[in-house]
Amino acid sequence: MRCFRDLVLALITVCCFLFFPLHLVAAPEGEFIIISKKGADNIALVLDKLEIQGDDGSKIAHNLGVIIHDGLDFTSLFTLKEPPLHVKGKSGIDFRELGLTAAEVYAGGTVTLQAGAVTLSMKVYEIASSKLLFSKTYGGNEAQFRTLGHAFCADLVERLTGRRSAFGSKIVFVSTTTGFKEIYQCDFDGQGVEQLTHSRTISLTPALSPDGKYLAYTDYSTGRPALYIRNLHDGTTATAGKSGISIDPAWRNNSELATTLSFEGDQEIYLFKSNGALYRRVTKSSGIDLSPTFSPDGNKMAFVSERNGRPQIFIQDLLSGEVKRLTFNGEYNTQPSWSPAGDKIAYTTCENNGEFNIFAIGSDGSGLRQLTLNSGKNESPSWSPDGELIVFTSSREGGKKLYTMSSTGKNQRRLLLMKGEQMQPSWSLFRK
Amino acid sequence: MKKKINGILVLPLLVLAGCSSEAALTNAGGSTVPENNVVSAVAPTPSAPVQSASVSSSGAALPAPSVKVVSPEVAAPAQSKVAAPPAQAPVSLSALPTTPAAAPAPITPALAPVAPAASSASPSLISQSGYGFDQWQKGPLGDVFFDFDSSVLGDNAKEQLIQNVGWLLATKSSDSVLVEGHCDSRGTSEYNLALGERRSTSVKEYLVRLGVPASRLEAVSFGEERPFAEGKSEEAMAKNRRAHFILQK
Repeated sequence: MRCFRDLVLALITVCCFLFFPLHLVAAPEGEFIIISKKGADNIALVLDKLEIQGDDGSKIAHNLGVIIHDGLDFTSLFTLKEPPLHVKGKSGIDFRELGLTAAEVYAGGTVTLQAGAVTLSMKVYEIASSKLLFSKTYGGNEAQFRTLGHAFCADLVERLTGRRSAFGSKIVFVSTTTGFKEIYQCDFDGQGVEQLTHSRTISLTPALSPDGKYLAYTDYSTGRPALYIRNLHDGTTATAGKSGISIDPAWRNNSELATTLSFEGDQEIYLFKSNGALYRRVTKSSGIDLSPTFSPDGNKMAFVSERNGRPQIFIQDLLSGEVKRLTFNGEYNTQPSWSPAGDKIAYTTCENNGEFNIFAIGSDGSGLRQLTLNSGKNESPSWSPDGELIVFTSSREGGKKLYTMSSTGKNQRRLLLMKGEQMQPSWSLFRK
Repeated sequence: MKKKINGILVLPLLVLAGCSSEAALTNAGGSTVPENNVVSAVAPTPSAPVQSASVSSSGAALPAPSVKVVSPEVAAPAQSKVAAPPAQAPVSLSALPTTPAAAPAPITPALAPVAPAASSASPSLISQSGYGFDQWQKGPLGDVFFDFDSSVLGDNAKEQLIQNVGWLLATKSSDSVLVEGHCDSRGTSEYNLALGERRSTSVKEYLVRLGVPASRLEAVSFGEERPFAEGKSEEAMAKNRRAHFILQK
């Protein structure tokens, strides 16, 4: 009898592996356990309703619940499931009941509101093993419920994927809301829109430094497109101070950025310090060299060049100077964006039928994948800090608006509702 | 046929102006412009002096090898006019492209008798209609147009630029000229900003070769940021692929 029971248990175990191959793999790191998602599918997560403790915290608990739910949903990493009716019994969490949901992870917690101070205590379990993955308490005031909720979301994503998350990051972009092209920023989820420039001319191609301290952009205040580097902390602005024009800056790290300048006649890419001091020329080829984007370690730069006649994307090793062509599909490939995860480069292709679509390709040239199709003009891809999402511009609903999608092109949805057209989004690595 | 004739008329001038024969014969801009937009001739303008003017005004800076490209029958009359008074040069420069191309045969004869009238020609006689002029450019300097993703000057564009140089040199104005490079909305905006600069720069360089002091010229790109024509039609797109001239006091 005992043997039979062991055999059944062994069979169940084997079946579990057969039917749920996308199980989570735990690895210790620090005081928490990192769970790396295996495979391409989402993590099935049961997000429980927050319990209320102390004063009447029902409203803040509801708001926090919505923020956490929407935040996790925004990441495209999770399949969110409703909790079973009797998940919490007298003896604690009923993991057998949770197991019936086929979810992998359970998250729940309590909210305490006392004299305006909010305390959010969250616990996350792996359902199959009933193991506590992590528990953490977040404190703040009522007005900070977005920050509190997103802080938990950020921790959850980081522990389940081992990578930085989009929570706390900013997106800078151009909008015509005022009738002029000005630069704005918003939170990663499109909330908290704020106008950053008031040039009343044409401001273009914004890029935040990884630490969020500097905003680089191109601006026509002097009558020609010039590079501006604004210190967002003290409000001071540096310029490149070169003749000719400047196009499309990008940050290599917190203190260096690159942009295209034409003061020497041809359009080449140069490296700058954040104070506007020219550091060195990077490219040297006849014709347009444009739109730098850097590998996470800053040692390689992808960029657009028409050195072979039509615009294609190349990668230059900044240490050896070696240049390799990356794109061979299509005759008009521009706007490269190197994933902070390091493995992929997204870019915009003008296809033979005239459609503009976003593609992603491995930085080694493998795994070309089309991410948008039959949906207006799609352009200006920019990766989230964790490399899981892409923000981009699309004219699928008429005027140009901002959208996000997963790294594989799934979950394409509008980022924000705003008057005028929005374009040229750039997702920062900045976390509050 | 009309374009071809104009091309022949301009060839000596272009070659002398330092263009390679390949560039001079390229017809990039012309294909995007309706045939009826080809420059119409102004009254009987002095054509012969035009050539002499071009030679005298820009010849000094021209690389010698380019002269060799000129076919003997076309180059001869042009070179024979080199000694013409510099004052006449601008007028004839501008008049050349506006010469009606109705009859191919009389090209050379038609040029000769004009010389005497050259000195009396005034800039106001220069055509300000046709190819380079529309509701967004009423003159005195005509705009030039480009093919998609190209900054190459076509025959029509070069003819317009020669006419513009004629006006600039004739008026002896000290006004500076802003050359704006524009693109249609089909590309991506950053690339178009670069392309717009290449267009404005190629125009500026051509004007300098024809004798306009570089100090009077400023090139700037607006990419696809300031389109002229609304809409996505090919006609609207073609109107937006231009180098646009603005005189600045």
